[in-house]
Amino acid sequence: MPLFNEFSMPVFHIDGEPVEYEPGEKILSAALRCGKIIPHYCYHPGMSVVATCRMCLVDVVDLGNGRPAPKLQTACSMDAAEGMKVETLNPKVEEGRKLVNEFLLVNHPLDCPICDQSGECTLQDYAFEYGSGKSEMDYSKRVNGWRDIGTFVALERNRCIQCSRCDRFTREITGTNEFGMFNRGHELTVDTYSDRPMTNKFQGNMADICPVGAITEKEFRFKRRAWKLKKNRSICTGCSTGCNITIEHDRNEIFRLKPHENQNVNKWWLCDEGRLTYRMMNERKTRIHQPLGRVDGKLEAISWEEAYAAIAERVGDMSPLPEEVLALTDTHASNEELFLLQKLLKDIFSAENIFCPLPKWEQSESEFFINTLITTDKTPNRAGALALKIKGDATSAKLKKAIEAELKVVFVLGNPFEAEVEVLEKIKKAQLVVHLGTFHNSWNDIADVVLPGQYYSEKEGTFTNKDQRVQATEVAVQALRRTRPEWRILADLSSALGQESSYGSSADVFNVMTKQVKAFSGLSYAEICGSGKELTQRTKDSGMKVVKAQT
Amino acid sequence: MTEETLVLFKNIRNPKYDKSLAAYKNSGGFKSLKKVFGMKPEEVVQEVKESGIRGRGGAGFPTGLKWGFMAKGTGKPSYLVANADESEPGTCKDRELMLKDPHMFLEGLMIGCYAIGCHHGYVYVRGEYFASIKSLNVAVDELYADGLLGSDPLGSGFNLDITIHTGAGAYICGEESALLDSLEGKRGHPRVKPPFPAVSGFNGCPTSVNNVETLACMPFILGDNGAEAFKSFGPQNNSGTHLVSLSGHVNRPGVYELRMDVNMKDIIYEFGGGISNGKKLKGVIPGGSSSPVMTADEVDVLYNFDDLAKKGTMMGSAALIVFDEDTDVVKLLHRITRFYAHESCGQCTPCREGTHWSRQIVRDFLNGNGSDEKLERLNRVGGNMMGTTLCALGDAAAMPIQSFVKKFPEEFRKYYATV
Repeated sequence: MPLFNEFSMPVFHIDGEPVEYEPGEKILSAALRCGKIIPHYCYHPGMSVVATCRMCLVDVVDLGNGRPAPKLQTACSMDAAEGMKVETLNPKVEEGRKLVNEFLLVNHPLDCPICDQSGECTLQDYAFEYGSGKSEMDYSKRVNGWRDIGTFVALERNRCIQCSRCDRFTREITGTNEFGMFNRGHELTVDTYSDRPMTNKFQGNMADICPVGAITEKEFRFKRRAWKLKKNRSICTGCSTGCNITIEHDRNEIFRLKPHENQNVNKWWLCDEGRLTYRMMNERKTRIHQPLGRVDGKLEAISWEEAYAAIAERVGDMSPLPEEVLALTDTHASNEELFLLQKLLKDIFSAENIFCPLPKWEQSESEFFINTLITTDKTPNRAGALALKIKGDATSAKLKKAIEAELKVVFVLGNPFEAEVEVLEKIKKAQLVVHLGTFHNSWNDIADVVLPGQYYSEKEGTFTNKDQRVQATEVAVQALRRTRPEWRILADLSSALGQESSYGSSADVFNVMTKQVKAFSGLSYAEICGSGKELTQRTKDSGMKVVKAQT
Repeated sequence: MTEETLVLFKNIRNPKYDKSLAAYKNSGGFKSLKKVFGMKPEEVVQEVKESGIRGRGGAGFPTGLKWGFMAKGTGKPSYLVANADESEPGTCKDRELMLKDPHMFLEGLMIGCYAIGCHHGYVYVRGEYFASIKSLNVAVDELYADGLLGSDPLGSGFNLDITIHTGAGAYICGEESALLDSLEGKRGHPRVKPPFPAVSGFNGCPTSVNNVETLACMPFILGDNGAEAFKSFGPQNNSGTHLVSLSGHVNRPGVYELRMDVNMKDIIYEFGGGISNGKKLKGVIPGGSSSPVMTADEVDVLYNFDDLAKKGTMMGSAALIVFDEDTDVVKLLHRITRFYAHESCGQCTPCREGTHWSRQIVRDFLNGNGSDEKLERLNRVGGNMMGTTLCALGDAAAMPIQSFVKKFPEEFRKYYATV
């Protein structure tokens, strides 16, 4: 024993390597935290320990007092102790895992070729690793049948290995209690109570935590084999929570969104509504495919150079005063885009009239953490707009005053105030309306130039979530050929209008922003790429109202 | 020795005893409780420790030690739960006590409650024991009417309530943590241990779960003669009398109260009156269906915890099942494996799959589909259940399988060997 150790926490050993643990922590939890893999099915870090699958057996050769444990112990339920020595790879342990796996396969159908979980199934992985390759079970298997249990997931009970994760999920995570275990012995199975379909808003997670193909997502079933999918980290833009996700795609088509663990934001979970936003990412029909210019009252396809030149020429002709320039944006835009739009107005026109809709929103409060994930603010970057001091409301006096002026140049980013007929009517009278957007909407009808942007799965960007945490998205799929990311369009516009700018990437814009905007100071792009980082200077959101969540 | 030693059965063996509260009081009942109320709880636990009584539910864990483990100073109430979910095949001793002398058991329960500072004791009775449930309820009503339960019994200032709770007939609910789950209104699934019930049991509070017979011994242990007298009834570490449920092919099956230094042979041939129809003994299951089987030549052994453990088996709940030379051992094992396959709660893998699989293999022998390979496989499946499960049911299912295959391999071979 060394006289002192270099660790701040107490230490025990797994396979000879020192592992730190918090007092009271279990062996498995400490091992997983340190990247040591011990096979397991029923254990999930977010839920209670039941120790029923018996897969995480380890050999405790020294309990910390010099004596070994009498038999193999389950790592998920055994407390780590100072000086404990655990072996996870010796023949005794392998034998233990082998027999547990054999028992699991007694009643599990060997239908991997037609099972949707194939490729991401832990039972398959461990059967490959520890299985004997041939079964000594020569009787017919238990048959329970398929059940339609909810809007989002399907249940194939034959494949269930009774790990009870799904049961614990509805009891401990959502608190909805609509799912439970039925019968006993080898007929033990899972189902909803009274044949009622599930109604909770987080069913997709049950498919995630199911270690086998018993619960699968209806949206994804039978569409692509799991091993074909490529994965990219991103942020869900369905609401202002900013859940961390992985976008899973193949051949430029997105198939599903999965939650990515981030203890500061969404833990392990993602709501079903968020999962469904993958449909928008694949949307092509309503996308703007190329730059459009109004010729003789009609929008016609033009090239990017023509578009920039036309805008530069018109602006040059008008030489507008600061109050004759206006920018409207929505809060779907990333921090960089909002910043560049603001900068464009300031640098070229010395104008400050930039507005975005910031309606009031509700944050739910609940004893079950997962309910707080869903907010009524369905935009990803409201906090970013507030940090950049971009404000406004359809009814605000400032906006009213701004649109009353003789407007000459109006930039519209995204789809703000679309439902406000009055605003649209006023802006229609402006001499030049430039719309930057991804989808066709009513701004196109009044725009003189339409510049096609990209969806957030196709470009890089950072978003500030409701807790003022700045998080980054990655490029997952290739964008439509003739579109450009909005930050590049804004930078190009700035160059075309006389202010040379040379941003190579969204990260460059972010770095400039951290220097120029106080709220973002002290952040670096590399830092926020992992699990995000909170703003050092918090802005108060007066539009938030905390409401009690209903389960 | 052919005489019973009457401690628990002293009233039951009296033909004039009518199990009412008055009759129990006449026989010296509730004197111990009165004495206990004058002692400190720690002194009671100490006395129980000195008596050396080991739990009669099957595991044989020293009761005084168990009560000593109860978490103190947690700010939560403590609970004592009497495990009356007697379901081990062959066992029928608690039923006798509850049915024929409920007050002795309830007095023991009250002593236990006082010893561990519990103000609300529970009795978890097996659901099928209708008569016992009725008898207990009548007895509890009598106690409330007499003022022995409720507030301030015997002027002690110690408030005590007792609730009789009936189970729904699951064997697994006899396992203490599954029993507590069931008592809380959940599915009866054994819990992960630690934490043990002494730290976090019923509703997360410190709880002690004790067998009915164990508690019924308390009036004697805390009585006039005390721990010393109790100790004198058996050899070292096996103190007291115990109830033996003798069943199977004997002339006089029944529940006998015996010292712990009685030979098993005597139990079968003297108390049981020998094998019925003048046949020869083939073997015994010494401690309920989950204990390893013994052959006829092994029965010359003292019937207590330690001596049976030395023989590689266990006394369990002292349910001695005797079978004669004509018994088909494979059929017997099939019945036992069917029981465990039916009663496994199913939550943990080796037991859920293993009990069912082993049942199927044994059935194969009966259907004439046996083979050496299958016999070996049966032994392996049984062995794989041993020691790998969350609770003791996996072991309980594995022990008979392994011992039957080991002790009677020829019986299995008869089913498939070509003559």
